[in-house]
Order: sequence, then C-alpha cells, then structure tokens
Amino acid sequence: MDIKSQVYKRVVAVTVTGRVDSATAADLEAALNALTNEAGSNFVLDLGGVDFLSSSGLRVLVTTLKSVRKTGGDVRLAQPSQRAIDAINLAGLDVLFKVFPDRESAIASY
Amino acid sequence: MPPTKTRPRLTLHSQTVPARLDQLEAVCQLVDLGARSSGFDDRTSYACQLAVTEACENIVKHGYREPGAGDIRVTTRSRPGELTVDLVDSAPPFNPTTAMPDDDWEAADPPVGGRGLLIIRRVMDDIRYERRGHRNHLRLRKRLLTPAD
Repeated sequence: MDIKSQVYKRVVAVTVTGRVDSATAADLEAALNALTNEAGSNFVLDLGGVDFLSSSGLRVLVTTLKSVRKTGGDVRLAQPSQRAIDAINLAGLDVLFKVFPDRESAIASY
Repeated sequence: MPPTKTRPRLTLHSQTVPARLDQLEAVCQLVDLGARSSGFDDRTSYACQLAVTEACENIVKHGYREPGAGDIRVTTRSRPGELTVDLVDSAPPFNPTTAMPDDDWEAADPPVGGRGLLIIRRVMDDIRYERRGHRNHLRLRKRLLTPAD
C-alpha cells in the first residue's frame, strides 16, 4: 500500500494505492491521524488505485470520518475503484461517503 | 440404456499458512485460484477473497489472539459455478455463525466494527461451523446464480 498526500488551502487530498487490509490499515490510520492533527479536517481520499479493501481498511475510513466530523469536516471519496466500491457496499457503508468521479470535483465540493 | 449422471469435475487447492495478518494475501491468491477454477469472474472472485479474508482475520485476532500462534489450513473445492472454502484452525472455539453483525445504525453514528461478519454473510450463500476435536472447521460456500435459480 502507498499513501501520498497533498495539502490544499481548505482540503487534504490523500491518494491510497494497493492493498488496504489488516496488515496495512494501521499505516493508513497513522497517516490520516497525523494529517488530521496537522493539516485539517476536510479530506478527499483518492481510492482509484485501491485493489483490495477489507473491513480493517473500512474501519479506518469510518474512524477518520467520525473524528473529522467533530470539527465540521468530512471524508469524501474520489474515483474509487470498482473493488473499493464493492467493499464499501458489501459492508453497508455506502450511505456514509459522498463519492465523486474525479479528484478535482471532490476537492471543489468543499 | 438410461443416461448416466456424472458429477462435475472437482478441483482442489490447499495450503497451510501461519495465522498471521501478513499471510492473508497468500490466502487471497489461493481463493482466486479456486474461484477461477469454478468459472467465477473477477468481481465474484474478489467478493469471495474479501469474505475469506474476513474469516481468516477473525481466526487470527479472535481465535489465536497472538500473531503466528498457530496455522490455518485453507482448502478450496471448485466445481463449475460453485466454490467451497474450508478453513481449519486449532485456536480455541470461535463460531462466527453465532455472532450477529450490527446492521441497525444511523449515519450520524456509524459502526466502527462488525463489518467483516456482514461481508461474509452478504457474499457467501452457506456458512457452516463445526468444532471437531480441538479444531475449528469453517466452511464457506458460494454458488453462481443460474437461470434456473
């Protein structure tokens, strides 16, 4: 799994690629926690390159969402891969996240 | 002479892995192999990999409780349109079929856990657990829908 982040004036864009499962979710959680503390609470997660997303990865998305909501923030998803979408839907979490077809529209939504 | 009914050919794949989270990718590769042998497409194979991953993660975290404290034997049985995955471990008894995922929640307070069980139940058509001697046997079965269904 690779994580890249880009901090804009009002938005933090994070690109996640590869496999997000119980072996890697802790790294994602640490990265998102650090960004929440340092850069803000409006997140765009680009999941276009995610080829596996288990419940451990979903747990990180939900905990981050709950955390940033406390300060009026949100977690929005950009161009999620079909595999990321399938995992989110199977876990019944599709109602939680706003999904955008590309990064630009997700960033512009804030 | 009446036509003889023959059962579709069975393909077996099996592997024993240490019960560690970093082994789940290898389990997924085996499940993908089994799913392909059953004629499943990529999306259905992925769903099966997700379900089996969740079941194995439960064995590692809630069964053995310590990484590498034992093994998991993974066996896939493939027939056209049907995949059975057997998981055998020697952790203390843990029956995932009796745990109920919480599916009654509001978007304002989403659940952090319990999603793995939901994924298993939504993907698999049949989930059976047995404790045999000192081993847990979990059988997960996925069937493709046919026009007759």
